[in-house]
Amino acid sequence: MITNWLPEPSLSAAILATFLPFVAFLLIMVFTRRYPRLSAGLSIGAVSISLISAIFLLARHWHPQTPLEYTGQWLISGDINIPYGYLLDQVSLLMLTVVAGISFLVQVYSLGYMSGDTGFSRYYAFMSLFAWAMMNLTLSPTMLQLYVFWELVGLSSYLLIGFWYEKFSASEAGKKAFVMTRFGDIALFLGILLVLVHLGNLNILELNSPRVSSQMSAARITAAALLIFGGIIGKSAQFPLLTWLPDAMEGPTPVSALLHSATMVAAGVFLFARLFPFFSLSATAMTIFLAIGTISMLLASTMAMVSRDIKQVWAYSTISQLGFMIMGLAAGSYFAGVFHLTTHAGFKALLFLCSGVFIHAYESNDVFEISRQGGRRLKIPTVCVVIAAAALAGLPPLSGFFSKELILGALAELKNPVWLAAGLLGAFLTAYYAFRLIFIILFPRESSSEPDANHAQDHVHGGYWQMAWPLMVLATVTVLLGFFQGALEDFFKESLSAQAAHGGHPAWLPFVAFSCAACGVLLAWVEFGRRSADRVGFVEKIAPLNNLFAERWYIDHFYRRFLDIFIYGMVSNMLTQNDKKIIDGGIDGLSKATVETGRFVSFLNNGMVQYRLLTIFVVMVLLGIYFFF
Amino acid sequence: MIVPFYHVLILAGLLFLMGISCMVVRRSLIMILLGVEIMLNAASIILVGASLLWQNLDGQAIVMFIFAIAATEVSVGLALIVWAYRRTGSVDPGDFNILK
Repeated sequence: MITNWLPEPSLSAAILATFLPFVAFLLIMVFTRRYPRLSAGLSIGAVSISLISAIFLLARHWHPQTPLEYTGQWLISGDINIPYGYLLDQVSLLMLTVVAGISFLVQVYSLGYMSGDTGFSRYYAFMSLFAWAMMNLTLSPTMLQLYVFWELVGLSSYLLIGFWYEKFSASEAGKKAFVMTRFGDIALFLGILLVLVHLGNLNILELNSPRVSSQMSAARITAAALLIFGGIIGKSAQFPLLTWLPDAMEGPTPVSALLHSATMVAAGVFLFARLFPFFSLSATAMTIFLAIGTISMLLASTMAMVSRDIKQVWAYSTISQLGFMIMGLAAGSYFAGVFHLTTHAGFKALLFLCSGVFIHAYESNDVFEISRQGGRRLKIPTVCVVIAAAALAGLPPLSGFFSKELILGALAELKNPVWLAAGLLGAFLTAYYAFRLIFIILFPRESSSEPDANHAQDHVHGGYWQMAWPLMVLATVTVLLGFFQGALEDFFKESLSAQAAHGGHPAWLPFVAFSCAACGVLLAWVEFGRRSADRVGFVEKIAPLNNLFAERWYIDHFYRRFLDIFIYGMVSNMLTQNDKKIIDGGIDGLSKATVETGRFVSFLNNGMVQYRLLTIFVVMVLLGIYFFF
Repeated sequence: MIVPFYHVLILAGLLFLMGISCMVVRRSLIMILLGVEIMLNAASIILVGASLLWQNLDGQAIVMFIFAIAATEVSVGLALIVWAYRRTGSVDPGDFNILK
């Protein structure tokens, strides 16, 4: 099928979209590393063509039809037949467009943010690699292909998080992200194997068809779903493996924007959405997912409440929003999860890009520091960050409100009211920590001197507009996307009809949700916004709670101790001993024996003619005895 | 043939062993060369004895060749020893260790 792809516009567009960034990556790495501007141009050119192709695909397949699948043979060996191809359906097309769009905006933004960096070309090469891996992941028709690109996404995020590798904390953060997500990936891989063994096929469409329940027992489906969910936990930084994401902000800020919105962490939720029909075969697994999503959401929200680092707050909020999406999906509402994924990609990218402008201008991550230096004088980023934070908090006219309300609606349909209560609590906390930060920046305590601000303007004026217009585009998207809910819902109607039709959630829900968010904002206002506020949050007044939240519920400490005691102390120590005593000892003994034998034999070879003669004689006699007797 | 063949063999064997031991034990090049000569002669004795036993002149002819070769070998060997003595000031093979 690959051979006659030209007359098939969808396929050629898909190939174009997913292949060009890789070409750009190769070209930059091989040829144009010395020419930063050319490298950036190549990368942005490739990703913009991808974006155009993605929009073309989305427009072409706007009216839902059956999913399109194009596959070619990648590898045939005996009975094993591994296909490679593209699967175009609603969720993959939507995700492709989101990924291409955010990648494009972030790359344009990086022109300003990264200008003058010594690794400029390398940065763009990795960005292209990242975009390529993620776009292919969205279009993968089989679990194997998805897994390959899943790992590539992990690799490129490792490269980008540790981009400033000469900084120790950055390389450590990259390593942590890689190892922690790998941990989940092992589970994912086992899950894929389990499915392969029982189904003999990794095709996603077949995995999602209802026939699976007749081919696998319920317990096996649950086990496979839980294992695959392990991969999602790692990638999307959910409860037990959540600490890599806050550290991942060691990378350049645009990388964080990309990582937190459309590519790395979204891959986890995307996989959930991709295999949604498969997961929903197992009610037990869905309940566990719901619990994990809830725990992560609440944990991360509490962590965000005490952080002073602007990027860290957004990082925690990413975890919490991802948990929220997983809650929505696990509650059975496919569209709610995917829609929140889309809107979140928009406003989270916006949040990070705005923070990037502040950090670039004032060279500090500390909110109070940015505020003191007059952060609000940078008009565009300030307006944008307020819009994005309002969307994050779920205030009405913005996109976040619509998607959150959908998820809350799904939660309200569950029998157990605990989930809904947790969701509302989460909404309250989110609004609180988002606006805590906003009020700190908007109302600086001691007013800064004017020259300071001018200095900042000077600082950013190079590349300021390059950074500003992606912000405006994203802000527009954030404001408007919510009104396209109906259109998107139509788009998903085909896949929705498979599930129980929802809708008809209680009429009071939007008001409750809104009042929760409003309470959060109000509390933030009372504590941080008003003139006489003491700018100390209610959590920070309770020392043990503050410590607990600031130390990330001691999860990192636990991992550290676990690593020190169990891994380094026992396993690694034992292996070292094995290495030193048994393997090294064996090799040493072998070589020592050889040396000793050599020394003994060399006594015959020390140039003494007579010993040689004796040897010859003895050998001849022995040979004679051997041959004649 | 009045001497039994195995007496010849014993004599030749004894001579050969003496030659070997002389060659291996003595620490002088001249004695080593001597040992080689003795061993050659032991071989010659067997050849002569065998040719008498089987009434075949080939053995005696070979012995004539051995004489000629032994003579040349001794002259070349002695020349080498003289050269080695001039070079190292000794005739002990243990001292010829330039290649070590």
